[in-house]
Amino acid sequence: MGDTFRESMGWLHTWAGVVLGALLFAVFWTGTLSVFDKEIDRWMMPETRLAATDRLSWPPLLDTARELAPDAPFWSFFLPSERVPVVRIFYRNSAGDFTFRDIEPRTGALLPDAGTLAGTRFIFPFHYSLHLRWNDLGYWLVGLAGMATLVLLVSGVVIHRKIFMDFFTFRPDRKLPRSSLDLHNLTGVLALPFHFVMALSGLIIFIAIYFPAVISSAYDGDRAAFYKEAFGIYRTNTSGEPASQSLAPLDDMVAEASRRWNGEPPQLVRVWHPNDAEAYVEVRHSVKKSVSYKLDAVYFDGIMGAVLHEHSSGPVVSVQRFIAGLHFIQFEHWPLRWIYFVLGLSGCVMIATGYIYWLETRRKRHAAQGLPGVRIVEGLTVGSVSGIVIATLAFFVANRLLPFDTSFVGQDRAALEVWAFYLVWLVTFAHAWARPGRAWREQCWTIAGLAVLAVVLNAATTGDHLVRSLAHRHLWPVAGMDLLLLAGAAVALLIALRLARRCRAVHPSQNALKAAE
Amino acid sequence: MAGWLLLAGIVTAAYLGFALLALTQARPWQRVSQAAPLTGIRRLVLRTLGGLALLLSLALCLVRDGPSFGVLLWATAISIAAAAVAFTLTWRPSLLRPLVKMVAASGDGCRARQRHDKSDDPLGIDRA
Repeated sequence: MGDTFRESMGWLHTWAGVVLGALLFAVFWTGTLSVFDKEIDRWMMPETRLAATDRLSWPPLLDTARELAPDAPFWSFFLPSERVPVVRIFYRNSAGDFTFRDIEPRTGALLPDAGTLAGTRFIFPFHYSLHLRWNDLGYWLVGLAGMATLVLLVSGVVIHRKIFMDFFTFRPDRKLPRSSLDLHNLTGVLALPFHFVMALSGLIIFIAIYFPAVISSAYDGDRAAFYKEAFGIYRTNTSGEPASQSLAPLDDMVAEASRRWNGEPPQLVRVWHPNDAEAYVEVRHSVKKSVSYKLDAVYFDGIMGAVLHEHSSGPVVSVQRFIAGLHFIQFEHWPLRWIYFVLGLSGCVMIATGYIYWLETRRKRHAAQGLPGVRIVEGLTVGSVSGIVIATLAFFVANRLLPFDTSFVGQDRAALEVWAFYLVWLVTFAHAWARPGRAWREQCWTIAGLAVLAVVLNAATTGDHLVRSLAHRHLWPVAGMDLLLLAGAAVALLIALRLARRCRAVHPSQNALKAAE
Repeated sequence: MAGWLLLAGIVTAAYLGFALLALTQARPWQRVSQAAPLTGIRRLVLRTLGGLALLLSLALCLVRDGPSFGVLLWATAISIAAAAVAFTLTWRPSLLRPLVKMVAASGDGCRARQRHDKSDDPLGIDRA
């Protein structure tokens, strides 16, 4: 582990990075994409590409909910916003599964099921749970990644030899180990505050999972009491008797809640036990106008419309919500959204260049000693870096290619898209191990091809090509996605061409050697 | 519109701030200028100006977005501004030449004094 503190930190940094880098890249990559999860939704759900509105009409919305889920224990209506032009209703279907549909806000018309989990239901949850639900395993792995990020950042600062002298240093003309280390240091040091705060806040968001001691010591293990006090979860039992009257006007409840919040609008209206005499309505604060991810809520008697309970966060939870809010970035602030995206990408570059540095400083030695390390880690690197990018693009392409209402071996359309993601990702690992030396280049070509294909397919299947999407404000999310896909294709193409040139530069000398033999 | 102007101001101030700070370091300075790296008082002045430019960018952030969004915007935007300076030094160092010229122009008076002090200030530790 080394004799000095710096050497032992170097050992820690190297091995934590090599072992956990693949996991870290997956979390960083999906986190970066989640910055634009709702825009990805618009791209993958063409039916929801509507003009934004803040006007909505409750009676038709409730009628639609009643038709959709007559016996559901609750209906959660997420209200439209600048980035989401639809009302999204979450409920439990007759099979007991938690599900959602999108509704046109003014007419209450149910939009066709898009058959996709898209950004908010696949990419975003992947970022914090890896979709591994068994025993919360995914949450724990992501928590491990968060802790590892903190450890890697701190140990990275300790082992950095010239942190101030190299503050602005990037020398792409140097040999690969040096130039990749430059880029690793540059992205690591300059975006250090962002990476550190994101990793730490990520851990703090899931305080109830990662720090269960809080609940067990302060609340005697009573999770419900903790949730009630901290997050304002208020529940009453059903009466078991059907309601004799219909619900009181929701408009009035929304207006009353908004009045209590100095005119700020709600983002969520949840009707509990809609058909019961004890129905009640939960109205939650908007998270659009402040950094803090506020959980303030007002609860109303569903039938009488009177206020039952009001919750606003206490001081400790307010701090927790501020930290959560700056991670969740649900607020409306376009410059910050783009900055988060760029800094997220810089984190991806940091991880990838860390791997490349590890590989390039060991390649010759491992080859000479016959060690398999470089080959194993190179496959891991390619699969976890360019591989997950390809898998993501395959997810987008599958979304545009799979016909409506399709299903295959018992899997519905949304599940098939997810299968496309995982299977393609698996194939990229196999490819990376099967074709060392060429894998990077070939996967870069694949990225470029798939990204362009996705843009073409979007234009072909929805008619919203770039000229059209740029001309209409409500299609800008689609235009932004197309433009980023094209930019990504261009970058991948550049890298592929550079790698090809380097390969040609290396091979002639090998040929010459052979000729000399 | 005012929001976008302020944003342009924030980015410019942060970029200039880091550019000035970078120029006080030997290697970045040599990528931009043929002259010997800055020392002593001129380096101190440049560092102070760089720091002030970063503070200005913070102030503009606070004006634009208030305390919570403002601090968040500043803390993240300066990372990108610093990276932009690094990439400028890598690929287009000549873009920073006007700054060096400004330093040279403002330092003309200084230089005369430095020449005068040269004999008893061999390390370039300016005592002005």
